[in-house]
Amino acid sequence: MTAPPVTDPPASDSDTTAPPDPTPVAGRSPSERLEVDAELQRLGRLLGLAPGELGYLADISSADLRALRAQITQVLFDGNGALARLGAATRLLPAALTASLTERIFGPVLAARVAGTVEPGRAVEIAARLPVDFLADVASELDPRRVAAILAAIPAPTVAAVTRVLVQRREWVAMGSFYGFLPDASIQAAMAETDAHALLQIAFVLEDKSRLSHVLEIGGSVRLGELVACAEAEGLTEQLAALAAHLTPEQAAAVTRTLSLERPARLGS
Amino acid sequence: MERDGHTFLVGQLRAEPPAAIGGLLEDHLTHLAGAVQGARRRQAQQLQNASDEALDHIPRLLRGPIKKIVG
Repeated sequence: MTAPPVTDPPASDSDTTAPPDPTPVAGRSPSERLEVDAELQRLGRLLGLAPGELGYLADISSADLRALRAQITQVLFDGNGALARLGAATRLLPAALTASLTERIFGPVLAARVAGTVEPGRAVEIAARLPVDFLADVASELDPRRVAAILAAIPAPTVAAVTRVLVQRREWVAMGSFYGFLPDASIQAAMAETDAHALLQIAFVLEDKSRLSHVLEIGGSVRLGELVACAEAEGLTEQLAALAAHLTPEQAAAVTRTLSLERPARLGS
Repeated sequence: MERDGHTFLVGQLRAEPPAAIGGLLEDHLTHLAGAVQGARRRQAQQLQNASDEALDHIPRLLRGPIKKIVG
C-alpha cells in the first residue's frame, strides 16, 4: 500500500467522536480498539493530518502509539526553544494585550504549544481574557502533561464553560486527554456539563485510565448508574465491562452486578 | 542523497521510535517522517509569521526587549 501524501491540516470541525466499535484487529479487545482509535486521532491532530491518513498505524498497539506520540510531542513542543522564548516574552506584556495577540494572531495551536512555557498564574490571567470558544480550541490542542499547573489553577466555572463547548463539539478524545489532570473541583464542574453519553465516551478514551475510578467517585453512585444505563441503551456494555479493571472493587461490582442483571450472557463470554 | 525511511524518522524524532513503528513498511516510515517534518516546518513558519505580525501591535518601547527575548 502506498502511503497517502502529507497534506495540510484538516478543518477543525472534523468528527472527533470515538466510534464505539472501530475496525476489528484480530485478537484485539474492544477497549484496546478504542484506545488505538483515540491515539490515531491524537496523532492526527498533532501532525495536522486526518486520522485516516495514518491508517497504516492501525495495527500498532495503543502503548506504542502513545510512546510515538510522546516523541512527536517532545519534538514539536520543546523543539528549538522558540516556543519557550515566546512564552518568556509574554512576561513583558500586559495580560490583556497578550490575550488579544493570542486570539487574533497566534491562534489556538501555537497558544496550546506555548502555554506550557508560561508561568501558570500569568497563563490563567491571560485565559481569563479569552473567549470560551477560543479556550475550547486551545484545550483540544493541549498536551495536558505540560500544562498540569495551569489546568489546576483555571477556575472551575471556566472549566465548566469550556466543557460545555467541548461536549457540544463531541470532542471526547480531547476531553479524555485532560480530564484526568483536572483538580477535583474542576472535575465536579466539568461533570455537571457532561451527560451520561458524553461521560461514557470520555471514559472509553480517558488517556490516564488510573484516574477513571477517581473521576467516577467524584460523580458518585448516581453517575455510575447513569453510565451503566447509557451503555446498556447504546449497546456498549462489552466496552464498559472492559473498563472494570480500572475501577475500584466497589465500582466494578456495581457495574458487573447491573450488567449481569441485564445481560448475563455478555459477562459470561 | 538517498535516505531510508527509518533513518529519516529517527532524524525527525531525534530518537529511535518504538520497535513496532520501526517495523513499518518503508513507504509508511517515509510518510510518517514526512508528516513530522511537515508539522515542524509548519509550526516554525507559523511561529515566525505570528511573531513578526505581533510586533506591529506591541508598544514601540517594548519591541526592542521583546525582540531580544524572542530572537
